[in-house]
Amino acid sequence: MKDDIRKDEEPLQTKELHRNELKTVAAVFLLLMVLLGSLLLSWPSKAEYGDVVINNFSDESGMRPVVFPHWFHRIRFRCKVCHADLGFKFEAGGNDISMLKIIDGEYCGACHNGNIAWSVENCNLCHSGKSGTKTQVHESTLQKLVAPVSK
Amino acid sequence: MNMKYLGKIHPLVLLAVLICGTANLNAATGEQVYAANCVACHAAGVLGAPKLGVEADWTTRSAKGLDKLSQNAIKGINAMPPKGGNPALSDEEVRAVVAYMLDRLKESEPPAKATVKKKGVDQKASAAAASSRDAEVAKPKPRPKKVAQRRGRPVNAFNRLMKPPSQRNLPPMRDGIHDSRNDGTAALQHPKEAFGPMPKANSGNRVDWVAALNRGDLKPRFDLEDENREPVVLDLNIVREVKGSMPDVVYPHKQHTEWLDCSNCHPAIFFPKKGANNISMASILLGEQCGVCHGKVAFPVSECRKCHSKNKPKTAKK
Repeated sequence: MKDDIRKDEEPLQTKELHRNELKTVAAVFLLLMVLLGSLLLSWPSKAEYGDVVINNFSDESGMRPVVFPHWFHRIRFRCKVCHADLGFKFEAGGNDISMLKIIDGEYCGACHNGNIAWSVENCNLCHSGKSGTKTQVHESTLQKLVAPVSK
Repeated sequence: MNMKYLGKIHPLVLLAVLICGTANLNAATGEQVYAANCVACHAAGVLGAPKLGVEADWTTRSAKGLDKLSQNAIKGINAMPPKGGNPALSDEEVRAVVAYMLDRLKESEPPAKATVKKKGVDQKASAAAASSRDAEVAKPKPRPKKVAQRRGRPVNAFNRLMKPPSQRNLPPMRDGIHDSRNDGTAALQHPKEAFGPMPKANSGNRVDWVAALNRGDLKPRFDLEDENREPVVLDLNIVREVKGSMPDVVYPHKQHTEWLDCSNCHPAIFFPKKGANNISMASILLGEQCGVCHGKVAFPVSECRKCHSKNKPKTAKK
């Protein structure tokens, strides 16, 4: 009788173990699928990694949305300059930027004032995106994971 | 000459010019649309897609005519989703690309021998094929896939779902988010031009930014006012033991403080105490924690081993 009880108990424990292992395998598999899916969806994107499209007000005001090239700026400035000193939050579209503030020397206007970088008269250099392009960090993981809303 | 005649000729000339103009436009856009949207399936023949320039795939299809084929492409047919899965394409663009693919068929017909010859070069290992031209003409059909990929087609040779080299670091005019009709776009710097001397990476901008900074390829300013101000670099590694079989994460403060200020991460994103932050890959993938930068501007999460870099000590198995 004793033997029988022991036999019953052991498989239960090993089952637990197997379940845990299965869970980790499933988790790893899921992660792999997510990465693969992200690669799949990444195909049509051609612009630079990290290009930020800012379309908070542009479309409504009949302007092209702004394309902010991270790569261009990080060659010239370290992240700290904009994200600590100038107060840009780490979120596309999460900063309440307006042309008034820029002309007052806030946000982009800290450099784009004709001294350090081109001034606000050159509308087309920043407002250069295709109209209707949504606010986004181009080629970001999030953009690849979340399927675009079909029209 | 009477003004009467001038009045009659004028609209005709205008029409002719217009037709010529749009014809050229179609040819150009058809090819561009193909390269940007269709090539992924129609170069290799994915899921039965008719291959570009392969006559056997098109015989029954081209008989249907441009109108019917365009309609099918717009609505989707068999494994092909509507507009090839890109709803942003206009009906005209789809029609243009169908026309382009049919045109390529016509072009490929007469010099058939020439293409066969080229394929023959690849097979030069087999002496039999090289010796008789008849044998070559008879057998080229079965293996076009690999040959097509090696021939610098705009498909990634390693994995057709990945960006091929021809689609990386495109100039703003062709990158898909800049408006190419905007005169300002043409004035913007090309990424390739800027990245030229920098060390390469396998993902993101295809530039190893940290190595580039170390090597002195770029000298980004740390302060807006003071050109010569140097960052306060903190050389402190934090090791995070991770669950599962992945190597542990080594977080280097050094590389981060070269670019960033402490206040960028602490305390809003990471509480400055070892073990006080519950970090998960799920939240990183969703753009939180490390994902605030990694997966947006800093190297993406596909570079697992850059963070998970410390192998676990080998434990003796029971």
